[in-house]
Amino acid sequence: MGRVRGIAWYTMLGGLSLVFVAPVVWMLITSFKTADEATRVPPTIVPRDPTVGAYETLFGGDSQTPVLRWFLNSMLAASGQALLVLAVASMAAYALARMDFRGKRIVFALIVATMFVPIFTLIIPNFLIIDRLGWLDSLWALIVPGAASAFGVFFLRQFFLGLPRELEEAAVLEGANSWQIFTKVILPLSKPALATLAVISFLTNWNDFIWPVYVLFSPENFTLPPGLGTLQGAYNINYPVIMAGATLASIPVLILFVISQRYIIEGVSRSGLKG
Amino acid sequence: MVAVKAAPGRGAGLTPYLFLAPYALLFVTFTLVPAGYGLWISLHDWDYLLPGKPFVGLDNYRALFSSSSPVFDFFWQSMQATGIFTVFSVPLLVVVPLGIALILNRSFRGRTAFRAVYFAPYVLGVAVIGVLWRFLLDPNLGAVNALLGAVGLPDATAWTTGLPWAWISLVGVTVWWTLGFNAVIYLAGLQDIPRELYDAARVDGAGRWAEFRQVTLPGLRPVLLFVVINTILASSNMFGQAYLITQGAPGVETRTAIMYIAEEGLRSYRMGSAAAMSYLLTLALLLISMITFRLFRTKD
Amino acid sequence: MKPHVTRRGLLGLGVGAGGAVLLGACGDDGPNPIVGGGQNAQPASTAYTGPNVALTFWNGFTGGDGPVMKALVDRFNSENPNIKVTMNVYEWADYYQKVPAAVSTGNGPDLGIMHVEQVATNAARGVVLPLDDVAASLQLKEEDFSPPVWRAGVYNSKRYAIPLDVHPQGMFYNKAVLERAGLDPENPPKTNDDYLKALDALKGKGVQGHWATPFPFTGTHQFESLTWQFGGQLFDDQATKPLFAEGPGVQALTWLVDLVKNGYSPKNVAQDADLIALQNGKAAFNWNGIWTINTLRAVKGLNWGVTALPTIGTQPAAWAGSHNFVQFKQRATDQNKLQAGKVFINFISKQSVEWAKGGQVPARKEIREGAEFKGLKEQAAIGAQIDNLHFPPSVPGIPDAMVTIDTAVNEAILLRKEPGKALADAAAKASQILEQNRKKYGG
Repeated sequence: MGRVRGIAWYTMLGGLSLVFVAPVVWMLITSFKTADEATRVPPTIVPRDPTVGAYETLFGGDSQTPVLRWFLNSMLAASGQALLVLAVASMAAYALARMDFRGKRIVFALIVATMFVPIFTLIIPNFLIIDRLGWLDSLWALIVPGAASAFGVFFLRQFFLGLPRELEEAAVLEGANSWQIFTKVILPLSKPALATLAVISFLTNWNDFIWPVYVLFSPENFTLPPGLGTLQGAYNINYPVIMAGATLASIPVLILFVISQRYIIEGVSRSGLKG
Repeated sequence: MVAVKAAPGRGAGLTPYLFLAPYALLFVTFTLVPAGYGLWISLHDWDYLLPGKPFVGLDNYRALFSSSSPVFDFFWQSMQATGIFTVFSVPLLVVVPLGIALILNRSFRGRTAFRAVYFAPYVLGVAVIGVLWRFLLDPNLGAVNALLGAVGLPDATAWTTGLPWAWISLVGVTVWWTLGFNAVIYLAGLQDIPRELYDAARVDGAGRWAEFRQVTLPGLRPVLLFVVINTILASSNMFGQAYLITQGAPGVETRTAIMYIAEEGLRSYRMGSAAAMSYLLTLALLLISMITFRLFRTKD
Repeated sequence: MKPHVTRRGLLGLGVGAGGAVLLGACGDDGPNPIVGGGQNAQPASTAYTGPNVALTFWNGFTGGDGPVMKALVDRFNSENPNIKVTMNVYEWADYYQKVPAAVSTGNGPDLGIMHVEQVATNAARGVVLPLDDVAASLQLKEEDFSPPVWRAGVYNSKRYAIPLDVHPQGMFYNKAVLERAGLDPENPPKTNDDYLKALDALKGKGVQGHWATPFPFTGTHQFESLTWQFGGQLFDDQATKPLFAEGPGVQALTWLVDLVKNGYSPKNVAQDADLIALQNGKAAFNWNGIWTINTLRAVKGLNWGVTALPTIGTQPAAWAGSHNFVQFKQRATDQNKLQAGKVFINFISKQSVEWAKGGQVPARKEIREGAEFKGLKEQAAIGAQIDNLHFPPSVPGIPDAMVTIDTAVNEAILLRKEPGKALADAAAKASQILEQNRKKYGG
């Protein structure tokens, strides 16, 4: 890249980045302000009176707010669901993308069609089912039902369809069975898609605040969104507390994303696919 | 790519069903049964706490088409809001992230950092971005108007309470928020395209644009279809942004279908009616998506 | 307390919307689906002598009021060794979604708090139990409370709620801003003339004194306060028809809209901007709920006061919400738990001056009139309106009809519809919704 073009390149990317990152930085800054400074007009950019008061409120001695416990629950629920989605969706997607069987089109159409049913319609029926299973007020209620979403299957099927078939052909010639092809060829080839799906599933679960409200009762079983809600509830215009909660909830996920990037970039191993 | 026939052994006998089984178990229990239950609910005057759940046949659906029913105006108003939002947000959310993904797929120093930057907003939940932007877009006290005023532009735009500003805000915030989501999907898709195809194109003397048309776009087609469908779905299910940033204002102009369905079902406990609305919306989306599928197919 | 706007919104729950004049009980016809409660007829007393029991108590006291209630619960536990009460706090919006779902699966708590306008709906849906025997055995009577508050807890001739507090709207004012406009910061306006004069004086100094917000918190509350001040009602006593679009309602909304038209308020005020403006010295007045006391106390260097709403119409009146004790239906009735629950309700009710310190007005008259409460300056100033408060008719589903008012207020204050037209449109919708609810709940 030429020097001038290089500068132009980074200027453009940097300028665009500003739009994306500024509100997030704003969140971070606000979390270190006092409640009244946060609503000052015109706003201050650097806190005049920086404080960790909002974080003290979050982690404060009040035994009603076990924030770290919520964090742990969120981690368990979100990773549990991401793993479950990866496992079941990849298998189903492989069958739908690469195998021929009776009723395949109907099965696929049915799975995709359910994506169109608004999630609100399913809340009450699912709540009643979870009750039958005895999963109310437990992490199972957060991990399992969400993994039934059609999203992962549809997503991976589309990726598998795009994979070149040559390697599978070669494996078949070497006598590999379906399971071996799936685990030794398809999954390694699909690292970017799997990593992306993992991040998306994790995040969807991590930020969900509607379903947990129905199925969790005990404060010690809460995840972060309903938990932080109980902290923020009354601080109606206490933006620092809201933003501190948001910071707490988003920074770890951002780190996770950066790590997963490695797998997404590694990609289809610019490997020796024969053209 | 040469289409290869399914080799023997793959798809034979029970194997496909075994691969499907674990997901199928979850799918039937937590999606298909509840969805079927939802259909059944839509045929009743249904409240899970009331002992009587009278069967009303298609009345809940009929009410949606009868201008004298209490739900008629509100429902179609909300469908219109959802329509406006979907029409303006989907093209942006399909095209802009593709551009970003293409840029971020090139190798240059710091690209991982940039990827994180564009994805960062999506990491925040809707509850957070809603509060954040309502605060920033406040017509009288917000930073956006203050900034515009500082550079000599109009500083009293009703970003959250007027039209068309409220729509511009909602579409803008949503693009800002979820652009990274579609971009990472495109990025993952781009990794799927064998390097060799680009090399071949280059040997043939194809320019950038030709390369994009002849290699990238065809290679991305399944992913593109996924992104289009998923974005239509996400946009037509929009709810959090409108409730937090505009609260449906002005009046009920920005109250989306899902917002209204949630109010009807979860606050007013008229779940039969809410379920009927859901399924009408589902039907509309299915039609739109079927057209999309068709379009992708005929391009073959 | 005010549920957090965002999450309240997301869950589609409008908690705390105010309402009209009350109601004797609603008609006695129609099926009453409640089971289980009536049997709890064993005379209650103020003591519990049975075997050890554990009770769960859920509420939405997420703010400064949470620790206050927690301390009261702890004291109760130490004074009643055979009863162990565990308190769980949820955000109000979450709470109102969670409780009915939990009760329906037998996971409901024993005791809870409910806003007054939610009581009838939850009674009709069989979520809460009748408490007539609690009132009888504790010898609680209307005179012990404020009549409107007391009567608001009755549905279908049965009592379902014991009032804990009321949280009315008051007028908060920024003293520094008043001073700047040459107004007496210790003597805020009490009549319409004085109020408009003050707004004029403020306008002369470039201050838009009263930011008229088009959103439910607290634009709709202001509209309701004014409607009652002009002698109107939101609904008739049985909630058979909406009355908010009649003369007084139109007058009330016109008054608010004129604040914008006359430049006393900016256009397009967003959610919470009115209160933020007060804190920042951009507004002089803000009519807001009593919970605002806690918000403003936290603002360093702000010189503020609070008093009763000025009388803009023909009579004093103010919007108020009210927290009430309820007992939840269980799969299996446990007389010991019910009995212990009554003892708990009575205990907290008697301690409600402690509760008032968290920013409330006690519902119980003897406490409200006691010296200790009068010593809480801000609370007492707002509490002085106790005889001028109004609550919505105790009819199931009334919150569904009340959201139409939110829309009308929004459209009018954003200058998209004339007040009369906005209210008439809303009333037409509200009529349909009321009729629908009568059918559903058999009212």
